[in-house]
Amino acid sequence: MNSFEEINIGDTLGPLELFVSKDQCRAYARTMGMGEGAGRFTDDEAARKEGLPGMIIPGNMSLGLLSKLVTDWIGSSNAWLTRMNTTYRVPVQPDHTVTIHGFITNKNPEERTTEIDVWMENEESERLVTGTATVEFRK
Amino acid sequence: MAVNYDPALINKTFEITEPVEVKADKIKRYCAALGETNPIYTDEEAAKKGPYGGIVAPPSFAVTFRNGRHFFDNVPRFGLRGFDAGKDVEFVAPIRPGDQVTLSSHVKEIYEKTGRTGTMVFVVIRSTLKNQNDQVLAHIDHRFMNRP
Repeated sequence: MNSFEEINIGDTLGPLELFVSKDQCRAYARTMGMGEGAGRFTDDEAARKEGLPGMIIPGNMSLGLLSKLVTDWIGSSNAWLTRMNTTYRVPVQPDHTVTIHGFITNKNPEERTTEIDVWMENEESERLVTGTATVEFRK
Repeated sequence: MAVNYDPALINKTFEITEPVEVKADKIKRYCAALGETNPIYTDEEAAKKGPYGGIVAPPSFAVTFRNGRHFFDNVPRFGLRGFDAGKDVEFVAPIRPGDQVTLSSHVKEIYEKTGRTGTMVFVVIRSTLKNQNDQVLAHIDHRFMNRP
């Protein structure tokens, strides 16, 4: 990542292209200890009974993947993701490729922060999850 | 149409969970599930040289702590079943292995919004994560959307 001084509004992060498998989705649900009510994240049939097209990725997992775009960009620099605000627009289905994008929309030199629009798209470029992230650069 | 609710609901803490210890192994499994490979989250030696002087969890690990058993009973409902519309997370301090984390939750706000698909009522529940030293680690605003 560039230093705070070298960052410009309009700079982009990623894109990060990911194939999220059903097994990865199940592993996430298992790691999180999701029990009752997690069927929609682990089983196609249980998800269909809830009116969904099939298994979906937990919202928190999408939040984690959007955050990963930002923390990958930060790397080992002395910067900190201070905020991530997400909106779940469309259920995200596993066994599909999603692409995560970021775009710097603002830079505050006094607070040494940047604002970043982040979003996850499917193969049809439909925005499934959108959000804004704030990163603080420490001296 | 203004949404009707008891104003006493707002800001009243309805639940504080028992402490949960953060295990390095759970951070590792969380990273594996997300494809996270930065060694500051998993490798003690690499993490010592990093900005936090030791292993920390990825910031988004904050959303992995389970709400208490009565959490959803305390989320006000308006009409049909609500669903998770999004989260606004403020990451205040790094979460480290060995931390004993508690969550306290209250209703932060209730508001109505009319969009292309009709009227929606949003209920925002704020959960605050603290460690064993009463240090705030994160604030998580859960946004639930209801169709009246």
